Amino acid sequence: MTNHWIDIKNADVILIMGANPAENHPVAFRWIQRAKDNGAKVICVDPRFTRSASKADIYAPIRSGTDIAFLGGMIRHILENHLYHQEYVANYTNASYLVGPDFKMPGDLAGLFSGYDKKKGKYDKKTWAYQKGPDEVIRKDETLKDPRSVFQLMRKHYSRYTPDLVSSITGTPKETLLKVYEVYGSTGKPDRSGTELYAMGWTQHTVGTQNIRAMSIIQLLLGNVGVAGGGINALRGESNVQGSTDHGLLFHILPGYLAVPSADLPTLEKYVEKYTPKTKEAQSANWWGNRNKYITSYLKAIYGAKATKENDFGYAWLPKNDPGVNSSWLMIFDNMLRGKYKGFFAWGQNPACSGSNAGKVRKALEHLEWMVTVNLFDNETASFWKGPGVDSSKVNTEVFFLPAAASFEKEGSVTNSGRWAQWRTAAVKPLGQSRPDSEIMNDLFFRLKARYAKEGGVYPDPLVNLTWNYGYRQLDGTARSVDIHAVAKEINGYFVDDVEVKPKPGEPPPKEKTFVGKKGELAGSFALLQADGTTTSGNWLYCQSYNEKGNMMARRGKKDPTGLGLFPDWSWAWPVNRRILYNRASVDLSGKPYLSKKAVIYWNANAVLPGGKLGKWEGDVPDGGWPPMGNEKDGKKPFIMRADGVASVFGPGLADGPFPEHYEPLECPIQENLMSKQMTNPAAKKFADGGLPEDVYASCDTRFPYVATTYRVTEHWQTGVLSRNVPWLLELQPRLFVEMSRELAKEKKIRNGDMVEVASARGKVDAVAIVTLRFRPFKVAGGTVHEVGLPWCFGWFTPGVGESANLLTPTAGDANTMIPETKAFMVNVKARG
Amino acid sequence: MAEVRMGFLVDTSRCIACRACQVACKAWNHLDADKTVEKGSYENPTDLTPNLYNRIRFLESADAGGNVKWLFMNERCVHCGDAGCMKVCPAPGALHRTKEGIVVFDKEKCISCKYCVSACPFNIPRYGADDKVTKCHLCFDRIGAGMLPACAQACPTQTLQFGGRNALIAKAKGAGKKLYGESALEGLGVVYALEEKPEVYGLPENPSIPTSIFLWKDVVRPLGILGFWGSVAAVVVHYVTFGSRQLEEDGKGKGGDAHG
Amino acid sequence: MGRKYVERFNTAERVLHWFVAASFFTLLLSGLGLYSRLFHGYFDLFGGGEGAILAHKYGGVVFFVSSLMLFLNHAKDMFTFDEDDRKWCKSLGGYLSKNPEHINSGKFNAGQKLFGIFMGIATLLLGITGVINWVPESFPRGVVQFSLLLHGLLFVWFVMLMIVHVYLTTIGNPGTLEGMLYGNVRRIWARTHHPKWYKEVEGE
Repeated sequence: MTNHWIDIKNADVILIMGANPAENHPVAFRWIQRAKDNGAKVICVDPRFTRSASKADIYAPIRSGTDIAFLGGMIRHILENHLYHQEYVANYTNASYLVGPDFKMPGDLAGLFSGYDKKKGKYDKKTWAYQKGPDEVIRKDETLKDPRSVFQLMRKHYSRYTPDLVSSITGTPKETLLKVYEVYGSTGKPDRSGTELYAMGWTQHTVGTQNIRAMSIIQLLLGNVGVAGGGINALRGESNVQGSTDHGLLFHILPGYLAVPSADLPTLEKYVEKYTPKTKEAQSANWWGNRNKYITSYLKAIYGAKATKENDFGYAWLPKNDPGVNSSWLMIFDNMLRGKYKGFFAWGQNPACSGSNAGKVRKALEHLEWMVTVNLFDNETASFWKGPGVDSSKVNTEVFFLPAAASFEKEGSVTNSGRWAQWRTAAVKPLGQSRPDSEIMNDLFFRLKARYAKEGGVYPDPLVNLTWNYGYRQLDGTARSVDIHAVAKEINGYFVDDVEVKPKPGEPPPKEKTFVGKKGELAGSFALLQADGTTTSGNWLYCQSYNEKGNMMARRGKKDPTGLGLFPDWSWAWPVNRRILYNRASVDLSGKPYLSKKAVIYWNANAVLPGGKLGKWEGDVPDGGWPPMGNEKDGKKPFIMRADGVASVFGPGLADGPFPEHYEPLECPIQENLMSKQMTNPAAKKFADGGLPEDVYASCDTRFPYVATTYRVTEHWQTGVLSRNVPWLLELQPRLFVEMSRELAKEKKIRNGDMVEVASARGKVDAVAIVTLRFRPFKVAGGTVHEVGLPWCFGWFTPGVGESANLLTPTAGDANTMIPETKAFMVNVKARG
Repeated sequence: MAEVRMGFLVDTSRCIACRACQVACKAWNHLDADKTVEKGSYENPTDLTPNLYNRIRFLESADAGGNVKWLFMNERCVHCGDAGCMKVCPAPGALHRTKEGIVVFDKEKCISCKYCVSACPFNIPRYGADDKVTKCHLCFDRIGAGMLPACAQACPTQTLQFGGRNALIAKAKGAGKKLYGESALEGLGVVYALEEKPEVYGLPENPSIPTSIFLWKDVVRPLGILGFWGSVAAVVVHYVTFGSRQLEEDGKGKGGDAHG
Repeated sequence: MGRKYVERFNTAERVLHWFVAASFFTLLLSGLGLYSRLFHGYFDLFGGGEGAILAHKYGGVVFFVSSLMLFLNHAKDMFTFDEDDRKWCKSLGGYLSKNPEHINSGKFNAGQKLFGIFMGIATLLLGITGVINWVPESFPRGVVQFSLLLHGLLFVWFVMLMIVHVYLTTIGNPGTLEGMLYGNVRRIWARTHHPKWYKEVEGE
């Protein structure tokens, strides 16, 4: 989230699209209700009329996988009707930048952007670059009138997204579309804000990243980023998935969103050079210019005294990807099935149900020598070898099951979608032999270390050089338990040496030494971290979370000085307790808030600072303390994490185009893409040519004529391993169902409550039909398209609940993130005779 | 009754049917899970059970224009001011009213006659395997300890608002809500703010104690007692006025030779 | 005319009657508490309300069976109504007169016949409503509600008539009880109250 949960109450319009907060974030739905109490309008766009839709002022049905068409139409509407926030767009986005003359867009190139290499299935992005002057500064037209300006290119690109065409693609009635556009477009007025809530309904598509990009463009056009009640807000699907992502959950990022190095960057210097952006833009803070401080402090944190300047702070020990190799989720199981892995840790996960194309995942597990599962309960993954259709005698995988403690049984921090790291104490002791993950990991570390010491092995350095000061060491040098506070402090970081304040160039050296920090002190902010190995920080973003003042995450202060629900003394939010990101964009060039009644920050020009200087920010922690942009000498642009200091309406860094363009899902119900000749995302990762029989697709195939989507229900959590073991929850939703319209049911002679078979090209499941008014046939491309939906919270391990809906979903990945496309695929349904 | 009558305002327009109320109730009251079967609806269980004191009803409809509505209603004991169940209950204390005005049950005192099942205008009380009455008791135990009822505590959207009944009603009226149960049956302890007519939610438009039950308890019962004593009085009067029928042989017969 | 007594009820009839009577009083005592909280003290006779309900349920079965048998046993007598019976009705059996006219009743007079018919119908209805009240979950709510009302109403009538019945068979008409206790009534009693029957049995 750019903003946070409570901030939703400040919105004037709430767009729920790609999410279903009433069902999947019911506790947080109170803030939507609070906004409604204050007069906010709620719009819900979803293929199915959900419990969220039941509370919306406007419900717009949409065929799964056509969000970009829907949003592209909105961009067009905003531009054509001048609903955008001109000043914001001109100053705080790259709309004024001029793009090179060779850049061509899908309207001219049959659905492709310039530079597509058909053989590689990739873009060469050279032509997407900006025009630059001789001083390397990007050429701009602040009037936004130059035909090569991002703004005019965008206008041209989205002029194709007319309401009629969009309606024909999405199946949303035109009047509903226009109503949504009008209401949401009203937040372009400087004193209004609109927020967008999304989740997996947007990400799990082959165009997932571009779905969010499209909305980002809208939010930037309307000036909704950085303001209270605005932003692009990802509603995370697990209570701590934000925390785990921050701390390096994904294959390509280290903690704090530092890139995982690749083998072609043999030295720290090369790494820093590649990943440190440079800019010639005036007034750009270019915060990632500090990358070297963060990676060095990270290396110092994990390798401690072993990390020295001489050995590149242990950079060589970091695991590296081969250049160009992708190790994302889909690839793991693809490679596993091809026999490339010996062992696998399924730690806190149930891929046999959660993985897209779960049949392939289950097959892949059979190719392992060993698997360790760490979970609360036995599940479909741990017991895959005795699953339906598996001949146990032919499975050689040795499975170990380590019982884990539930989150309520252990102490530590949980970071919510709003980036608040909230400290929890253990409510109860772990049951039986179950243990906190940290202790399982601790055991594993000492046992592996001992084995390396005893037996040796290939390249033990990355493991044996790790610092591991998480608790009392016994005589043999091992620790039995983990002090989670020690881990939190390591994440925050220390001063390894005294760090002196250096005089600024031209200033005389101070008479007395002053210090940034003294040896052994916890670092107070990432601004203090050093690139010379004198500081550590396990995750620079969390620097400040546990400092000399104590455990900031455990704070429970209830003061709300702004009245906006920022609650600065409640827990702690990254970065540096900033509650609303990019908040410097919520004010005009002079620091005056656009939303005077909901001011996140404002520039108090008369405040006297120690040292006699005048002027400071009031309100939330600003994105840097520099004066507002109007101050040409010291002022900075608001989007400090972007090299050029402004937000990207135009995204030349993306894999599949700088502007979002509508493509059909990999499996779709219509013969042609009404928008262009290019059917699907040309840069998406497809597995069909990998030669595996598990990877089949069936687009426009009469055997699978209906669009299907998957979702969660309030009553179960993820694959249901936790909730299926709670009889109270199973009582509420006892088994797999498939929802469909009355019209489809009539056509297929299915009655409500009948058992039906739902089949895709990859698998089939039995589900109870819920025949409902809440699904309606779509009018698409002049014909009728039916859609059905299934929850994915069930699995064979619980008797009588039915199978995982992911047996139906395809292996296909988004062009940028490789997230699987589980939200739009094709199936057939038929009554079970 | 109480100094301040406590109760619920159930604002159906806020309900998202998360059913935390259902589960929280089971957790607090240690109620077993019911085995349910998916029959084509989210609404499970499909009725209140001895192990389910409150539940959400899911009501799906569409108008002529195809606009869908999905309404949610929390079904439970509404703690009538004039409670049919209490009226018919023959076991003193089995169903009684707390000082907060809540109708609670006492399984120890329930004699399993099930009269309350028939007397409830809302068809709420249920009997389980132990053959004792169960229903929502508004967590009178928690209230007594200064806590919110478990369901209200769990409700994330303030659909279930607990407090002084008058204050809740005043607040809801101030917000322009249409109320159900404000005055019927001497006022329900659980007042609903509905978005549609009561019938849409399966609520009686004008809830009242069933006529038969009213006749039984308020007419037949008092008249019957009159009848018993009347009969006794009648025979006594007959005896002293007409006396007993003596047999002829005894020679004292007051009457003729026979009355047959 | 040698014997002083005439046989009025044989042993089987008497046993049946006392079954009915005993079960009736069981039902009365166990039902009073259910009828009104005023009488809840009667529950103590059965060790509490649950015991009372149990006694009421099983006593009800005994009563239902025995009372219906009794009714069927006498059904023939009940449903024969002659001129004398009509006379009896007209004068209400002469009970409201100090000098009642002579009525030539058979084994049962009209009042007894009507009482018997009421007993039969009421037993049937109380039995049916009793079963409905026993398992209310198995019947529509409206049916149960009406059933409760009817059961209560019949109960009231039943008790009222029973008070009269007891009065008339004891102090109201001395010598009557003997017939139900020992089976025989004195000849004079038979001649007085049921002259037509007396003639039939004595052959006079």
